[in-house]
Amino acid sequence: MKKTLLLISAIAFLFTSCDKDKAIVTDITINFNHTVNGSELMTNSMIYTNEAGENYDIQTLKYLISDITLHSENGSSLLLDEVHFIDISDESTFSLTYNEVPNNNYTSISFDMGLDTAKNISNKYVNDDFHTTMFWPEPNGGGYHYMKLEGAYNNDSTFYNTHTGGTMGADYSFNHVENISLTVDNDLGDVSVNINMEINNWYNSPNQIEFSSYGMGIMMNMMMQMNIQMNGITDVFSVTVDK
Amino acid sequence: MKSLIYLLLGAILIISCKKDLAPISGCTDNIAINYNPNAITEDQSCNYFSTTPYVIETPYGFPDMKIPSDNPMTVEGIALGEKLFKDPILSADNTQACINCHQQNFSFSDPNQFSTGIDNIQGNRNASALINLGWNTSFNWDGSSLTLEEQAFEPVTNSIEMHNTWMNVEQELNSHIDYPFLFKQAFNINYIDSSHVVKAIAQFERTLISTNSKLDRYLKNEEQLTISELNGYAIFNTEKGDCFHCHSTNMFMDNLFHNNGLDIEPFIDIGRAKVTSNPLDNGKFKTPTLRNVEMTAPYMHDGRFATLEEVVEHYDSGGKYSTTVDPLMKKLGVGLQLSNQEKKDLVAYLKTLTDNEFIGSD
Ligand code: HEC
Ligand code: HEC
Repeated sequence: MKKTLLLISAIAFLFTSCDKDKAIVTDITINFNHTVNGSELMTNSMIYTNEAGENYDIQTLKYLISDITLHSENGSSLLLDEVHFIDISDESTFSLTYNEVPNNNYTSISFDMGLDTAKNISNKYVNDDFHTTMFWPEPNGGGYHYMKLEGAYNNDSTFYNTHTGGTMGADYSFNHVENISLTVDNDLGDVSVNINMEINNWYNSPNQIEFSSYGMGIMMNMMMQMNIQMNGITDVFSVTVDK
Repeated sequence: MKSLIYLLLGAILIISCKKDLAPISGCTDNIAINYNPNAITEDQSCNYFSTTPYVIETPYGFPDMKIPSDNPMTVEGIALGEKLFKDPILSADNTQACINCHQQNFSFSDPNQFSTGIDNIQGNRNASALINLGWNTSFNWDGSSLTLEEQAFEPVTNSIEMHNTWMNVEQELNSHIDYPFLFKQAFNINYIDSSHVVKAIAQFERTLISTNSKLDRYLKNEEQLTISELNGYAIFNTEKGDCFHCHSTNMFMDNLFHNNGLDIEPFIDIGRAKVTSNPLDNGKFKTPTLRNVEMTAPYMHDGRFATLEEVVEHYDSGGKYSTTVDPLMKKLGVGLQLSNQEKKDLVAYLKTLTDNEFIGSD
């Protein structure tokens, strides 16, 4: 009895000592941060001003980020998540973690704002949390909202809804690529990648968008979907890496 | 001791009378559900606990129903739940069953603005229609219950509803001629307790599925909508009427709480905030499904509107401002500006959600 115990502990010891020589694994956490004019978003307070000079608050922000992918020097890529839903009223949606990233020299990260045509199909994500909140009705092209950004402007009782999506089946999702330098090797350890959405920039340059003209809805307005997409591509997203 | 002997003698007498003095035969295996402790000769009639699984098919455009792992659906459990749902035995004076306030021909709702409990007291909320409940993530207008099992505990003891005690319910059920066997059959229990009563009821409620309306048949290309219904369909599903954001997907609800601009402050009923104590939830209520809405009048948490026309007038007005009104009510102050014909179209569309099979009149 004693002998076997000794043997077992010896073997266990051996294994653990082997472990010590083993590589440290790297888990990547993607954080989704939100700023307005550079400072962290505060919901439900009318403290923001857009380029058109309108004061506004933010009460609702829900959006989909898809195909979050790391690209390496040698041309291989690693899909971290197919679709991630972020809801400003639910902190648990502000990050996602990918465990045990393989060693490689990663040189860029890319993701889509919204869902591309292959994914933006009615009922494709029927069992996902976001299905009911983000669904986009058939008579308007079907699929899902990419983003719902809502609040009040000028005074507490005039509202704006900025809902983006595939109006009449057109694809207004866009890809964001950011160069990073991230070498995952045997002793790097865990890493955070922060994806920041600068909310005010949805309404500014190159296209200035006023709530007074478009607050009541743009779901059927292809021109506005395009303008907002262009603003989004220009300077809404930025990425930083914390090692 | 003596009394026990008398009792036994009495019991033997009764049993022997029944069986014409023949030697008692029956199931003598004590793990069988019909084990007869008085049986002396085995008659091969033993039945053992075995339930028949019941599978819920996922309707088009619905997520899979989430069924609690400790209450799997069985044919036996559902039948028992239906019997309990319709049985006034659950109320203190045996006069009121769940079905009295949740009437099938009104899509399991109450045509009265406020339901009256056994003590002739009325509540201040309209009885919800019970439809497609298996897809709800909370129950009651303020979401105060998180499961159907939990919800079913309430009406039985609620002083303005069935005003009973669970001890009393358990006593009556355990001494009933049918229930002990039915519970044994469904759950393999010898003593009926409240947790199994609510489990059976919840199983039955999960089968109240309505997805055979004219609209469903239209979406499957089996039936055509009229021009007016189609106009209503377009108003509902675009930002013109903007109903779909809250009454969303094929479920016609979003499992969320909204203030749809019914009242100015202070609110008589603070709704969701009763549960969360968060002032930002004042005046918010759970979005009800609009399936079978034609049958579920009167409307809103307090049954304030008698007709769908009144409901449409409310939304067309744009609603009233309060600090928690939903930004989706974005035409507040301006209104939807629907023409009279468009209002009729919207009502016509809402009526395509009627499922005659579900309300038992097909
Ligand atoms: C006296 C009338 C009355 C009786 C009897 C009654 N209910 Fe209700 N029921 C109501 C009312 C009123 C509500 C809405 C309560 C609220 O939101 O506060 C309701 C709500 C519900 C809901 C919530 C539905 C939803 O969509 O959120 C369920 C489920 C329910 N009842 C089941 C039952 C069951 C099961 C029984 C019998 C055990 C029962 N009810 C007996 C009046 C009644
Ligand atoms: C902001 C979200 C929202 C929007 C937009 C909305 N609803 Fe509602 N609806 C609700 C909520 C929440 C309730 C329950 C409110 C209450 O009882 O206090 C409700 C209740 C109803 C009811 C009553 C149902 C019942 O069983 O009592 C009907 C009918 C209805 N809505 C139709 C519509 C129509 C038609 C539109 C579009 C013109 C619309 N809704 C737009 C959230 C919304």
